[in-house]
Amino acid sequence: MFPNSTQCKYWMFTSEDELNKLRENANTKHIQMYGRHVNDAHKFDIFLTPDEERLMVRKYELNLRDFCKKFQPPMLRCVVGTAFHYFKRFYIHNSVMNYHPKEIMVTCVFLACKVEEFNVSMTQFLTNIKGDREKASDIILNNELLLMQQLSFHLAIHNPFRPVEGLLIDIKTRCTLNDPERLRPGTEHFLERALLTDAILLYAPSQVALAAVLHAASKLQENLDSYVTDTLFGVEGRGKLEELIEAVRSIRSMVKMADSVIDKNQLKLLEKKLEKCRNPENNPDSEIYKQRMQAMLYDDDEVYSQISSDHQNRDNSALNMSITSPGA
Amino acid sequence: MDDSICPRCKTTKFQNPSLKMMVNVCGHALCESCVDLLFLKGSGACPDCRIPLRRNNFRVQLFEDATVEKEVDIRKRVLRDFNKKEEDFATVREYNDYLEDIETIIYNLVNNIDIVNTNKKIEDYKRNNREQILKSKGKLSREEYELEELLDLEKQQEKMRRNEIKVEEAETKKKKLREKEALIDELMFSNANAKNIVETFAQNAKDTKETETKVAASKVTQFSTGIQFGRQAQSSFLPVPTEEGPAYVYKPITTVTEGPKLPPEEDFAGLGYNNHIRSETEQERAGGFTSNLACMRALQDALAGLYHVKKL
Repeated sequence: MFPNSTQCKYWMFTSEDELNKLRENANTKHIQMYGRHVNDAHKFDIFLTPDEERLMVRKYELNLRDFCKKFQPPMLRCVVGTAFHYFKRFYIHNSVMNYHPKEIMVTCVFLACKVEEFNVSMTQFLTNIKGDREKASDIILNNELLLMQQLSFHLAIHNPFRPVEGLLIDIKTRCTLNDPERLRPGTEHFLERALLTDAILLYAPSQVALAAVLHAASKLQENLDSYVTDTLFGVEGRGKLEELIEAVRSIRSMVKMADSVIDKNQLKLLEKKLEKCRNPENNPDSEIYKQRMQAMLYDDDEVYSQISSDHQNRDNSALNMSITSPGA
Repeated sequence: MDDSICPRCKTTKFQNPSLKMMVNVCGHALCESCVDLLFLKGSGACPDCRIPLRRNNFRVQLFEDATVEKEVDIRKRVLRDFNKKEEDFATVREYNDYLEDIETIIYNLVNNIDIVNTNKKIEDYKRNNREQILKSKGKLSREEYELEELLDLEKQQEKMRRNEIKVEEAETKKKKLREKEALIDELMFSNANAKNIVETFAQNAKDTKETETKVAASKVTQFSTGIQFGRQAQSSFLPVPTEEGPAYVYKPITTVTEGPKLPPEEDFAGLGYNNHIRSETEQERAGGFTSNLACMRALQDALAGLYHVKKL
């Protein structure tokens, strides 16, 4: 049940402002950590701004959606929903510059497959990825634990898909609407776009589901208002009705915003900028990363402790990627 | 034990391979010849701790560490009095407490902690439980009894088997003798070729041997120990554990739904919910699944959280 889930307890936020503030915090924290020598006035010449970070996240959310759509064998909707939740949660407290979204994205999908019991093997999963498969599998496995840790191991996700089924059953039973199955395509379309917004971090899955159903109904020029006010909420829920109406309205407006197009050229520039300022310690192509993995692999305490102490000394100058490698 | 050395005469195992270390109740070791020498009169003081000792309390040291010997001694003495068995207690907890008491007493005595009080405790216990101690001493515990029975049975069976083997051996011996005589008779009185006769007899002997080994092989399928399988089942049942602590009180589960109330599950069919869901297949019903459950879950999910408002 949603009300006593970790999702309700730890991953529901009050407003978009709160979310944006948290993301800004992650951004400033990252810049403070790695850009201490950079002048404040110029820091955004090098680092991404919070807005730019959000744009990158958005871009990779679209990628995530397309990846899941093309996935073979066809993926269940709840897997997609869960992957979206993971991805969004991850970048609330982490900067895009620290962990590249393209890596986190595939890891989210991989983890979601496991959690939602959509059984694909690693090799099956990798056939859906272009490029170097071996490297991809390394990236996924290396990031999986990190991702779970960043999610505080709150892996159970309540998606709005089952509530939609429940509502449709209820409408069929308690409402006189003619052929409620007509609502289905509109609802699904709405939910797909809702995943791209922050609505799933702000509202309960049942609220999102209700908004989807109501949206689909209004598209078909049907009116479900009396069903909601009289049948669903009845007498006992009268006092709560106003808040629900407000919630539905804001979910619908947020979803409407999801259709806005992003400038492709700007994205390309951002991609380049990110490539320059991303944290080399978490970049699998960098020397530093390889060394760290090597040390961990052989469990060589000496090398490992040396690297981690180097890591501490360097944290404010890591931007400068030509740093001399540790003498290990 | 190889490097054991007598603390008095400094003889080692190397110098005297037949060196035997002895210990008494105090836990200090002496070699056999020193014991002979020091305790000529039957009693004397331990050269280490000056405790008066008796000669006939000396035993051969079994453990390398003499303190272990001491503990074994003390344990034997204490357990002679503290001989309650598990059956004597109402609950396992009480029995465990009792065992722990014993261990504390033994530990105290071994490590010379509060000896006066501990000894007093033992005396008190002896006085208060004299009757029980005597009774327990006479009565072997159930386990010991069963074990003894088992050993007896085994012994008997072993005896029987040995007798059987003996009889069999005697018989084969007799048979061989008889055959030999028959052969000689045959050789003496028959007109046939001597070589042929010897051959047929040898063949016969071989055949009988083969059949015998076969018979013996079929005998081996018996259990060597002779333990009967059904025996364990006949012994008494496990004791019914008695409950400890306050009884469990059932509290109905309360769920927070943050949403409108669900119609009760019994009404699902009446309200017509079941017309809109797939009914369960026969296999699913066998597993305890009904379509009501799926419907209920979907409805619960749909309604839970509808009132949800995140407080600032």
